[in-house]
Amino acid sequence: MLGKRKPLWGKKKRLKSSYDAVIIGGGLHGLATAYYLAKEQGLTDVAIIEKRYIGLGGAGRNTAIVRANQRTQENVPLYKEALDLWPVLTKELDFNLMFNNCGNVNLMHSEAAMKAARMNVATAQFHGVESHLIDAKEAKALVPALNISEDITYPIHGAMYHPPGGIVRHDAVVWGLAKGAAKQGVHIHQQTEATAIHTGGGRITGVETTRGRISTNRVLVSAGGYSAGIINRMLGLRLPISVLTIQAMVTQPLKPILDHVVSSGAYHCYANQTLKGEIATGAHMDPWPNYTTQNTAHYIKHQAEALSDWLPCLRGVKFMRIWGGLADMTPDMAPIMDGNDPVGGLYMDCGWGYFGFKSCSAVGKYMAQYMATGNCPDILKPFHLRRYENHRLMGETAALVNYTPDN
Amino acid sequence: MNRLNQLPTLRIDPAVNHSLTYRGRTYQGVAGDTVATALFANGVRIFGRSLKYHRPRGLYSLDGECSNTCMEVDGIPNVRAENTLLENGMTVKEQNVKGSAERDWLGFMDKLDWMMPAGFYYKIMHKPAAIWPMAMKQIRKAAGLGIISADHKMKGRYDEQFLKAEVTVIGGGAAGMAAALAAAQSGRRVILLESRPHLGGCFDYRVSTTSDGTPLHERARQLAEKVKQTTNIRLFEHTSMVGAYNNNLITAFQVGKADDGFTECYIEIRSDSVVVATGCIERPLLFDNNERPGVMQVGCAHRLARTYGLLPGNAAVFSVGHNPGLEAAVDLFDLGLKINCVADIREDGQDPALLLALTERKIPVLKGWVATKAHGSKMVQKATLCTIDGMVKRQFSCDLLVASAGLTPVSGPFILAQAIMGYDDHTGYFLPDQLPEKMFPAGRITGINDPDAIETSGRLAGLEAASAAGADLWTKVAETRNALAAMPGPERGCKLVIAPVKGRKSFICFDEDATVKSVKQAIDQGFDVPELVKRFAGVGLGPGQGGIPGHNLPLFVAKYTASKETPKPTTVRPPLVPAFIATYAGYNHHMFKRTPIHHSQKADGGIFRNIGVWQRARYFTADVDCKEEILNVRNNVGMLDASTLGKFRIHGPDALKALQRVYVSDMGKAGKDRIKYSAMCNDDGCVIDDGVVVKRGENDYYFTTSTGRAGQTAEWIRYHTRYDNWDFHLVNLTDAMGVINLSGPNARKVLTKVVDIDLSNEAFPFSGYREFYIQDTIFTRALRLGFVGELSYELHVPSSYMQAVWDLLTEAGKAFGIRNFGVEAQNVLRMEKGHIILGQESEQRTNLLDVGLGFLWDRSKTVARTVGAVALRQAANDTGRLTLVGIRMEDDARPARDGSLIVDNKVRGYVATMRRSFTSGEAVGMALVESQLAGAGTRLEIFEDECNGVRIYARVVPMPFYDPEGERMKS
Ligand SMILES: Cc1cc2nc3c(=O)[nH]c(=O)nc-3n(C[C@H](O)[C@H](O)[C@H](O)COP(=O)(O)OP(=O)(O)OC[C@H]3O[C@@H](n4cnc5c(N)ncnc54)[C@H](O)[C@@H]3O)c2cc1C
Repeated sequence: MLGKRKPLWGKKKRLKSSYDAVIIGGGLHGLATAYYLAKEQGLTDVAIIEKRYIGLGGAGRNTAIVRANQRTQENVPLYKEALDLWPVLTKELDFNLMFNNCGNVNLMHSEAAMKAARMNVATAQFHGVESHLIDAKEAKALVPALNISEDITYPIHGAMYHPPGGIVRHDAVVWGLAKGAAKQGVHIHQQTEATAIHTGGGRITGVETTRGRISTNRVLVSAGGYSAGIINRMLGLRLPISVLTIQAMVTQPLKPILDHVVSSGAYHCYANQTLKGEIATGAHMDPWPNYTTQNTAHYIKHQAEALSDWLPCLRGVKFMRIWGGLADMTPDMAPIMDGNDPVGGLYMDCGWGYFGFKSCSAVGKYMAQYMATGNCPDILKPFHLRRYENHRLMGETAALVNYTPDN
Repeated sequence: MNRLNQLPTLRIDPAVNHSLTYRGRTYQGVAGDTVATALFANGVRIFGRSLKYHRPRGLYSLDGECSNTCMEVDGIPNVRAENTLLENGMTVKEQNVKGSAERDWLGFMDKLDWMMPAGFYYKIMHKPAAIWPMAMKQIRKAAGLGIISADHKMKGRYDEQFLKAEVTVIGGGAAGMAAALAAAQSGRRVILLESRPHLGGCFDYRVSTTSDGTPLHERARQLAEKVKQTTNIRLFEHTSMVGAYNNNLITAFQVGKADDGFTECYIEIRSDSVVVATGCIERPLLFDNNERPGVMQVGCAHRLARTYGLLPGNAAVFSVGHNPGLEAAVDLFDLGLKINCVADIREDGQDPALLLALTERKIPVLKGWVATKAHGSKMVQKATLCTIDGMVKRQFSCDLLVASAGLTPVSGPFILAQAIMGYDDHTGYFLPDQLPEKMFPAGRITGINDPDAIETSGRLAGLEAASAAGADLWTKVAETRNALAAMPGPERGCKLVIAPVKGRKSFICFDEDATVKSVKQAIDQGFDVPELVKRFAGVGLGPGQGGIPGHNLPLFVAKYTASKETPKPTTVRPPLVPAFIATYAGYNHHMFKRTPIHHSQKADGGIFRNIGVWQRARYFTADVDCKEEILNVRNNVGMLDASTLGKFRIHGPDALKALQRVYVSDMGKAGKDRIKYSAMCNDDGCVIDDGVVVKRGENDYYFTTSTGRAGQTAEWIRYHTRYDNWDFHLVNLTDAMGVINLSGPNARKVLTKVVDIDLSNEAFPFSGYREFYIQDTIFTRALRLGFVGELSYELHVPSSYMQAVWDLLTEAGKAFGIRNFGVEAQNVLRMEKGHIILGQESEQRTNLLDVGLGFLWDRSKTVARTVGAVALRQAANDTGRLTLVGIRMEDDARPARDGSLIVDNKVRGYVATMRRSFTSGEAVGMALVESQLAGAGTRLEIFEDECNGVRIYARVVPMPFYDPEGERMKS
């Protein structure tokens, strides 16, 4: 702790002309995959190409909510494993990821919503994940700041309570994984942008970067909100992804007031208290596709109006900072994880929308396995790209979603 | 404390007393005081304790750039006491202390800084794993500044305004006022925002003069008077700009005065152009204990005396790097402050007149010297000064150390507006390399300090902004630009990054207790750019945001890493000034659509739910099973307000083509007196909407959509016909018409009483459509539908007549037992009939075929390119899809709860809706199951939440469960 301070993810490395695998994007998924490639698959000759600095994409902008109470059996086991990995990674990386498993309280505002939540709860329980339906009074007992009166816009009927979820420190995950990956020999190249992906004979042959060309026969595109653009621009493949700005904000720091992650679909609003004491809160995406990550006046006002209703004590608290990031949304709110199709050696891990933080640990592990062996692990199979071609959506949300201009 | 009562610069009224309570004692302040200056006047020097090290903190900038004076005021945490005007009777508490601000038991934390290097929390407290949950609790307790109670109710009234201006000027100093006046002369509508309670900016408290000898404070008052007299300038004082968005959308909030009628007001301004005249704050000087109470910035010390009449100390040492620092020393000396020494970082370049003035007052001046340490455990008692090369040191006793490295522009508005920022070598300021469109800088923000130049640059920006907003002032602009060029330009800034110290106790960010040393540690660990240091060492993320570290961090990182690149500031994010959630929320009214008969439904005991944008009555009794409502429809007659249905007219030569495109059926078959039920799919073949269509005339159709789709339908049709250039018009009649659903065996008897057409089953059969007048006046469209499975009329009438029709029917139905039913009763009634509700029996994974509506699809309609047809054709051969089936529990006494799973060793489906039918006594419902389980008679294993391993069972049965032949609805 007090020893000499060395760069956490090693000294700056020379960009080699060839690597066994190249990962585009030094975000959560890229770093996690690199870490597991080196640690579990023995593939250490790996380069991470990051156009800015690691963690400046979605990785450093999210609100770090983790949970495993998804809707379908394809998703729950993956997120459960991801959730279980936080303490393991904390130990393995010897880096405190600050997992605060405070539990998630997901408010429901109608009978119909309670019914929909029951399916999630049953699915969780069926897979051994703790989750319960509770009524408004029980929710209030957990979250004393909650307004359960009838005279708000969306009176609270009850909630889905998921004790094992919570929040993790997002930056710590980035730095911890970078540290772990670098220690095993992975090269992290910051301020290096991938500008082209080369193919030959239907296979990956290399990656062009702003610092020179790398030859490789394996590329993972895990560039968060930029993945779909990269894959389209560099390989001509159009993914069914719409990219939207999503904003989040924090209040000034407070002594403990919220002990859970609380969210409301009807209000499009969630809130939790960071370990620093700020109330981190966010809402929905801006409803038009864009890459700007710009804030809007409307959003912060919407957030204030919503919080005024269901967490009214926060009216006396000040917003301190709002920011935006990208959410790359697929039509079924489930990601695309695929490989060797249609280009040999091309792997993609994208479409993570606003839920790519909670999954990164387990996904890194399985994507590493996929990339090392060329065979798709069972748990990732449902997430292949061609499901859209076949019109077989995953059902991760009950409702249909649409982000294109007809929305 | 005695006030300097006679100064012309005062902004207080010493004659009006206001009292406040602090630590159980009542103190007196005066009108115009801030909470902080009132406390200072009463001898309070330590206002709170710092976040990590519990260091004492006091007045530093007086503008709220740090959390030093964040206090709890009247139960509200984190109030910036130095920006909050004192009101009579306020109660104030210090924050983040155990004990008191003066005597904090946790003060020892300051000695433990060696245990808390940058990022230490990532490296400890997780070994062994068991200590983390406990450590986390302690961290949570220690972190955070203020306290809010869970039942806190924010008092006051929060207003909002949405304004339009041609020119908005941010900052009411001399430059901003000059800009507003110049822009207003052209007749433009101008808005001027000033964050302090009064105009004046840096002129407001200064006695130095303009070229014609007018003292600056007098000049400020002259300009302010002019501004107030100019009718096309709307002045907002005590109004902080918080956001700048695309196309010059500016947001701000105003603090109300006693007679304003609001506590705070959220303001949004759409402005053609913007002048940024936000001036400068000071760049903190980095040295040891640079935030000890008694260390103050120049403006703070100067304004305490000049604005509030409070001498900031008794004996002072100055360590400054700019002329305003010297000017303040001269002026404060004249006001009675003893000054032991003035150290100026600059070796040369001082204003000779100021040097002369200092000499005349026998104040020793050390050029090329800087403070390296403030001594004194709670308050400054002594200062060490040193040559900037660190070679020679001297100590001076003092209780006030005025320290400032120079000025730094308040460029936040530019950054929010997406300006590309650069670094100016001459001034040492971070300034926009490229200005955002129609934004113009004015005044000190540009680096100038000469009073005349400040005003001229304001005038120039005002003219430019007015021109950008359409005024033709370009000749005047050119003249003014020439005039400005002839005046003193930007001054060379002091470039010293840090005094010659190691920096263990030199604070670069006060809010998060980040020292120079911790920044070095972060850099050593690879976090070698400001954006990364900011996150790892926690710099500029506290309540004051980047106010304190914003300028120093990039300079220091560049220096420490010996980077050759130009330093880059970290991003500034809105709100520029923290603002209450209550203020942002404004009125916070609930906006819902109500149907035309909302109030009579309410009077009838309706319990409402918000469904999409509408409020609808869900129940009419407290019985959530709605037994009576249901049975009354089955046995007598019920009335449902269905006004929320989407209602559209589509007409024109290509209307039918458009319908063919979006509906799956052959809409050419829609007849004149008959209704056609059909559905719309999306590209995946999923049903997005269902409804009925009638043909009212040639190329003229009327159709309904589900409640939730009304908003999207027009856009949906437009989108899916966007390449066709078809000629049709779509009119949304959703709000223009209301709908009453009259259902039950007695429905005909009731309707007969109010209309005089032949309603016999032959004359108006099931699936029929008729138009008639009720009472010769009310034009009515009637549809005979069967959603709930009884004889049923859907009456569409103009919204304005809804209440009348409703009352007529209620009256007519009295003899037949008519009563209301709500959406829950409807839900059960239709479920018994096997009719689906989209989103309830359908979902993302199901398509038209899966939910049993395949019969609607006309496969031969290929020329129409029906949306979804491609997917449906493909899905026709798929296996393992979810399929909608009817199910009945083996035990009728135990219906499964909606949302229960159908399982074996995997999840195979789920129960969509299930109820025990009041008519048959059977527990029946609908479920989506994988197709291999869809065969009649298949036994289904049901997994309910909280079932503890106990499964219940059902079987697949045919639908509908009620009146399978449809005799009742067709009768
Ligand atoms: C406001 C907000 C709130 C969120 N909240 C949550 C939450 O509570 N829980 C949750 O689970 N998820 C949340 N998310 C989602 C989550 O942050 C993302 O899904 C996640 O970061 C995706 O990880 P990634 O590694 O795929 O991408 P990122 O973390 O975005 O990393 C991608 C990296 O690729 C780099 N890159 C891009 N193009 C190139 C190129 N050409 N060459 C080289 N590098 C390139 C980028 O600079 C970036 O660093 C939120 C997101 C946002 C924006």
